[in-house]
Amino acid sequence: MKIQTQRQPGEVSPWAVFSWLLMAITAYGLLPWTALEYGLGDFTAEEWGDALGWQHARPTLVLPILLTVLTPFAWIRLSGKISGWLWAVVSGLAIGALFVGFTITGTSMGLGAGTIIMSLAALLAIGAAEIGFQRGDTFIAGAVIFVVFMVAVFIFFPVWEIFRNVLVDKTGAFEPFQFFRIITSFGVGRVIGNTLVLAFTVGLATTLFGLVFALYAVRATTRIRYLIRVFYILPIITPPFVVGMSLILIFGRAGMVNDGLMFLLGPAGLLTPEGSPGLFERSGYIYGFLGIFLAQTLSLTPISYMVISGMLASINPAMEEASLTMRASRWGTLMNVTLPLIRPGIANAFLLGMISSAADFGNPLVLGGEYDVLSTEIYFSIAGAQLDFARAAALGIILLLLSLSIFYIQKKWIGKKSYVTVTGVETAGNVTPLPRGLQRGLTVFIVVWFLLVGLLYFSIFLGGFVKQWGADYTLTLSHHLELWSKGLGSGAWPSFLHSLSYALLAAPLTTLVGVLIAYILTRRKFIGRGIIDFGTVLIFAIPGTVIGVAYILAFNTAPIELTGTAVILIITMAIRAMPVGIRGGMSALSQISTNLEEASLLQRAGSLRTIRSVLLPLLKSTIVSSMAYSFIRAMTTVSAVIFLATAGTDVATTYILSRVESGDTGVAVAYGSVLIFTMLVFTLLVQFFLGRARTDKQVKTQ
Amino acid sequence: MSDPSIKIVLKNVSKHFGKVRALDAVDITFAPGTLTTLLGPSGCGKTTLLRLVSGLEPASSGEIWFGDDNVTQLSATRRDVGMVFQSYALFPHMTVAQNVGYGLRVVKTPPDEIRRRVHEVLEMVAMDGFQRRYPDELSGGQQQRVAVARAMVLRPKVLLFDEPLSNIDSKLRRSMRDDIRRLQQASGITSIYVTHDQAEALAVSDEIIIMRSGAIEQQGPPQALYHRPETTFVANFIGESNVVDAELKGAGEDRQIVFGEAVVDVTADMPLTNRTGPVKLSLRPEVLEIKPMGDSASSQDLRGVVVQRAYMGPVIEYSIKTTVGELFTRVPAYAVQFTENDEIRVHIRPEDIIIIPENDRDHV
Ligand SMILES: Nc1ncnc2c1ncn2[C@@H]1O[C@H](COP(=O)(O)OP(=O)(O)OP(=O)(O)O)[C@@H](O)[C@H]1O
Ligand SMILES: [Mg+2]
Repeated sequence: MKIQTQRQPGEVSPWAVFSWLLMAITAYGLLPWTALEYGLGDFTAEEWGDALGWQHARPTLVLPILLTVLTPFAWIRLSGKISGWLWAVVSGLAIGALFVGFTITGTSMGLGAGTIIMSLAALLAIGAAEIGFQRGDTFIAGAVIFVVFMVAVFIFFPVWEIFRNVLVDKTGAFEPFQFFRIITSFGVGRVIGNTLVLAFTVGLATTLFGLVFALYAVRATTRIRYLIRVFYILPIITPPFVVGMSLILIFGRAGMVNDGLMFLLGPAGLLTPEGSPGLFERSGYIYGFLGIFLAQTLSLTPISYMVISGMLASINPAMEEASLTMRASRWGTLMNVTLPLIRPGIANAFLLGMISSAADFGNPLVLGGEYDVLSTEIYFSIAGAQLDFARAAALGIILLLLSLSIFYIQKKWIGKKSYVTVTGVETAGNVTPLPRGLQRGLTVFIVVWFLLVGLLYFSIFLGGFVKQWGADYTLTLSHHLELWSKGLGSGAWPSFLHSLSYALLAAPLTTLVGVLIAYILTRRKFIGRGIIDFGTVLIFAIPGTVIGVAYILAFNTAPIELTGTAVILIITMAIRAMPVGIRGGMSALSQISTNLEEASLLQRAGSLRTIRSVLLPLLKSTIVSSMAYSFIRAMTTVSAVIFLATAGTDVATTYILSRVESGDTGVAVAYGSVLIFTMLVFTLLVQFFLGRARTDKQVKTQ
Repeated sequence: MSDPSIKIVLKNVSKHFGKVRALDAVDITFAPGTLTTLLGPSGCGKTTLLRLVSGLEPASSGEIWFGDDNVTQLSATRRDVGMVFQSYALFPHMTVAQNVGYGLRVVKTPPDEIRRRVHEVLEMVAMDGFQRRYPDELSGGQQQRVAVARAMVLRPKVLLFDEPLSNIDSKLRRSMRDDIRRLQQASGITSIYVTHDQAEALAVSDEIIIMRSGAIEQQGPPQALYHRPETTFVANFIGESNVVDAELKGAGEDRQIVFGEAVVDVTADMPLTNRTGPVKLSLRPEVLEIKPMGDSASSQDLRGVVVQRAYMGPVIEYSIKTTVGELFTRVPAYAVQFTENDEIRVHIRPEDIIIIPENDRDHV
């Protein structure tokens, strides 16, 4: 057996180079160079023809000519690394020239230009690999370049646009002090204060209740602790504003509580003395701080529960037993041993609660009333006739910085200490039970909580079947019929099908990129890794409303004009769900020994083959569950898509919100309950199949 | 098939991880068809060296040659190297047959031939019949054999073993190491073997390389390392050793080694015979004879007092306080026995004295 004769590292077959060249040249010849007026969904042959490169502008012919001239060099090997440099430099320059050209001529790129850039990026990767980037591994070089490109275009560029919009005024002139003018203008200080107060109190409340649930789930001896495992699914499958809506149904002006009190104590109430004007008037107390606080606490506590219970379950029971054997009471053990041990988890839960509260958009939107917070203020700066982009951008920056700083505190301060995997691990036998009195108290609390949550969901469900909540409780199917029985072209169907199809495309895309980022971050070291690292931090920390504003600012004009298309919604959903894939990939990859991949490399398998034959099978369940979870998040997200959905591309959540705004609560909750129900069935199916797959073959990774 | 054995040469190879110099300008030649063991304290760069040879890690500088090929720039995929990892690194989602046949599938071998060769190589490691098992259904030793089979199935030019037996209990380890040695000799594949266990190293190797903080301390056959350590570090690392200070005196025929009150004539085959001045000697515990004070004394003896005695079954170990320091000895249990505080003489035969040529940069 003879080893292959000396080949340059990273040298790929001439045909691979040629096929990318051919793809670029073909794209130039056949695909629209500039964006079509009405997008790819709606065009005439004439429009298509006009958009072709040589029709649009003759100078663009330089590109195909250059590529044709280069074609022979796919076969001609220049000595040393010159071939590599040739491809890398030429493609790099060409990509740069394209962006500059489109930007200064104010033209929007079309599918053809996009395809050409992709082909050039592939050639860049081939060249870089030949020079020795990623040790000559073309596939990995390509993946890295792809990820850097994605992060640059869809994270850095939009975020930069936010900053740019704050620095220039409406006419485009440079105005360095605009930011300060905006944030010192009316009310902004109050908005920031409101956001912080809300975030802080919600952080405290979710942490406290999360701790209660965690202690109970892991330590209690009663039956209802099994219910807790179910309860954390609910907020995942519920669109964020639905909790707020259900609060309105119960506590709102026309809600059950008000109704009940009116019935008893109102002007003609049962208990009202004859002739008295009534002891009670309808109250809107739920709108404002109290309502948002309640809604966020209800929907974010499960997150805090998962963080803390993961930590709690990872405590070595021996430590607590040691304390008990030293005659400490159960109370003493809980206070002096258990709680200090999970302190990082508690701090983590608090910070997560704060970030999530500040980023939440749906609940403040439906419950806000007078209480304005950053996320809604950003929306209202743009929505309607306001169109004050500079103000939206300035508020966006504040929210982003707030979120980023909490995120950094979390990462630096407790990141390492609290690296427990959040799973539903069954704890081993001898855990120390809770003190008896405490357990009894907690049982009551949790039962009340469950009853409240049950009531909320029930009211949502019921709200879809009554004529007019608060006024006419006659049962009716009319809301559902209006939504679902008027053909696929009207009612809920268009938005539902949009949601479904976008989410179905976004889920695999985001999982792919997320796991790829996780792979690069855990397995590869190279210059520029910091870029991806920072991009990841942004992806994790950036609130949805900020993404929404940023995308509107970035993708509304040349060179990349995507607003109004389905593409931008799919990308937004993908970005919003990406933390799922990254986190899942990271934790799964950290469980897989790199020796496995190395063993595969030594068996002559290239990195692509290694990923396919070794990593992917081992990551299968992670990928499936990430995809499922991403799908759910894409279906239920609202904060970012609300900025980007248009009449032609509205999705389920934006449609529901628009019905809420026009006062059709019945229709809105009817749709909401169907959405929740669909997601619930979907989740249960996925869990069922994943559970089955896991017991089929327990795969142990070392 | 032609002779598969190739020579591996490392020329001035260095590896840095940031500021850490894991390997520092190393020159080594691994002779064709031999099994060479890398031995050295933790962190001295053994694994790093192995990974450089495999191509899993690029060298910071220097060249690596396999026979007439400069492979420095070749990636691991193209180097034609088989490796057995300490953790075995068997693919958990594949059966034994799939694990072993993986590389064959990668290089597009016909299915029939894959089956035949998997069978063949599993037979060599006595694991035929386990084809359908998954790795987690095998014992540690069995997994290890499968890992060896997988490393050998592509008939690589080089075989690398990184502490392959460290996760296996000591009884099994003995037979496994003999198996590996037998397979390696039968195949004639040039092999590099990392271990912490010097007995293992002495038993399986053609050559041993002692490494120390990223550099080669000494390379040679086991006997040479044992009997002619060039540094105190080697003397202490291979076998046990009492290192004592001595002085070379005289000239020509009359040269002598003096340590404590003992004076020994220098024999012709000792190293450094043309030097005078202080040197270090290595005295192996098993070559020291202990005699009662009363026996006929010789000028080559040291006087001493037994300070500690340990019964070890077939041998008895004594610690003896002498004028050159405390000596550790090991004598057969059938010899005359002594107890603590006995005054004795330590007798050393001239041919058992090892002069360490290197004058000490290394303190032990
Ligand atoms: N990937 C790495 N990054 C940074 N330093 C490394 C890396 N790999 C090894 N080192 C350092 O290089 C030195 C040599 O490590 P190596 O693993 O080769 O030692 P070893 O001789 O195999 O040790 P052991 O016997 O414990 O396995 C050590 O100081 C180690 O910390
Ligand atoms: Mg090692």
